Amino acid sequence: MEENKKAHLLDLKLPLGGLLSFYGLIMVFYGLFSGKEAYQRSLGINLNLFWGALILVIGAALLLSSFRKRRAPKP
Amino acid sequence: MAPVISLHLIDYAIIGGYILVMILVGYSLRKYMRTGEDFFLSGRSLPGWITGLAFLSANLGALEVIGMVANSAKYGIMTVHFYWVGAIPAMIFLGIFMMPFYYGSKVKTVPEYLKLRYNEATRGLNAISFAIMTVLMSGISLYAMALLFKLMLGWSLTGSILFAAVVVLLYVFWGGLSSSIYNEVIQFFLIWLGLLPLVFLGLKNTGGLAGLAKKLPEAFMHSWKYLGSASNNPLGIEWMGVILGLGFVLSFGYWTTDFLVVQRALASKNIASSRMTPIIASFPKMLVPIIVVIPGLVAVAVLPEFSQTAAQSGEYNSALILLMSHYLPNGVLGLAITALLASFMSGMAGNVTAFNTVWTYDIYGTYIKKGKPDQHYLKVGKYTTIAGVVISVGTAYIVQSFPNLMDYMQLIFSFFNAPLFATFLLGMFWKGATPWGGFFGLLSGISVAAGHYILYKLGVFHYTSEMGANFYQAWWAWLTDFVVTIGVSLFTQKKAISELTGLVYGLSPKEKGTIKFYLRPEVWGSVALIATLVLNFLFW
Repeated sequence: MEENKKAHLLDLKLPLGGLLSFYGLIMVFYGLFSGKEAYQRSLGINLNLFWGALILVIGAALLLSSFRKRRAPKP
Repeated sequence: MAPVISLHLIDYAIIGGYILVMILVGYSLRKYMRTGEDFFLSGRSLPGWITGLAFLSANLGALEVIGMVANSAKYGIMTVHFYWVGAIPAMIFLGIFMMPFYYGSKVKTVPEYLKLRYNEATRGLNAISFAIMTVLMSGISLYAMALLFKLMLGWSLTGSILFAAVVVLLYVFWGGLSSSIYNEVIQFFLIWLGLLPLVFLGLKNTGGLAGLAKKLPEAFMHSWKYLGSASNNPLGIEWMGVILGLGFVLSFGYWTTDFLVVQRALASKNIASSRMTPIIASFPKMLVPIIVVIPGLVAVAVLPEFSQTAAQSGEYNSALILLMSHYLPNGVLGLAITALLASFMSGMAGNVTAFNTVWTYDIYGTYIKKGKPDQHYLKVGKYTTIAGVVISVGTAYIVQSFPNLMDYMQLIFSFFNAPLFATFLLGMFWKGATPWGGFFGLLSGISVAAGHYILYKLGVFHYTSEMGANFYQAWWAWLTDFVVTIGVSLFTQKKAISELTGLVYGLSPKEKGTIKFYLRPEVWGSVALIATLVLNFLFW
């Protein structure tokens, strides 16, 4: 089976990682600069900061994995 | 009525980012769409984890998410049955037993299998009914999305419909099934990331599951305990109806024959990944109740005005959105809205890709213009995508004037799915099923489903609840198809053995056992089943 014929048409980790990293970044910044009143609803927890940080980590991990694959020497 | 939710710039940035990525993904896939197989089946080249997540997300549309949260607000933990009984076993059965015939026979669509195994009439019946229903469903999801965003966010109805239609059109036109699948995988991540904050906050606020149990009626917190009789539980069903109707017929009927999900497995790169696709999907599927059942329970515990109005009107669909506006600050809120938007749009894209494939190969390529070169059908597929989106927009407007259409669509789907499963079951596992047996079995199953519904509505049959009626209707339709297929097959001519190779159990080449033990579908399927049993036991 010619598996390397198409391989991955487009490495999905790239757009996914990019999108999540973008989200993580803006959420963390928003979380750092928004006032306390915004978080009354979420029981006082600064969700944007924490969840945004998690999302950023996931996004960055995906991007990293995608770049390392590109750098790896072709067989 | 003022919108329930107000969005800030950050929320729009999150939504905008998603739209941009979807269009970019579609655009960059353009150059790979060289043949029909590329466009309609992703060149049969995708790895199992992608097709597996897409398989799950294709089903996890926004209507499903909102509907299931509403169901758990209405019925409690029993809603898990839709997952742990009503999905997992069927998904595993598909992967282990049925995918070898679907993938091995190299069919491009579900109706094509029926043509090879049975006859043209059976294929036609399935293809035409599926094509119509799927494009109508696409319009219905489009309308449901626009309506939701109008009510909750104040967006213009026409604006949302046209905007979503254009975006979906672009990325499906450019990238075909691959676009649809890639965006479904992105949707998968967004749904979890968007909805988990609600689960955390809800559980923290109510004191965990134990805290919820204190605030909710006893029957809400058990999945099997109150199924002894239909009058004991809010769902209005007993355990037999759940197992036979939901667990067996309805769920197998959907998961094993609905082309929208099966198409994703067919896009896999080899037979082993195609078998693993539904099995890989079953693991996150087991966990989906975390993001749909818990929010429903929390909504009842934490939003008293909602519980009151919903109990009076029977309308529970606003549970999720109300919960979101209750707990989520802007930012995370934008993410949750984007997750819903993503699910709606990928649902529509899934319907459009299923429609353009079935139309091009099973209807156009069979009845209108046969035997043309592949490039011709590729072009037809692209134009059908445009037509499909236009029809969806048209349907969305029709549904606006006739809102009951939405409920009828789900109902009509169920008329077809349950009997179809019997037709496939016999076709794949019994050499003796004949072409006319298949056709008349299917026809009679559909008729019994419709007939049962009419008689139920006329009051001739009595059930404790609408859902109970649905489950039994599906069971009788399946049984009729099963019996009639066998009966008619005993008196009509079989197909030659040579025509059936690769299509039926016992006439297919045995796969050489080259896969390592721990990668085999049977092993992982069993793991999934055992895990599901444990979950059922835990939430008894």
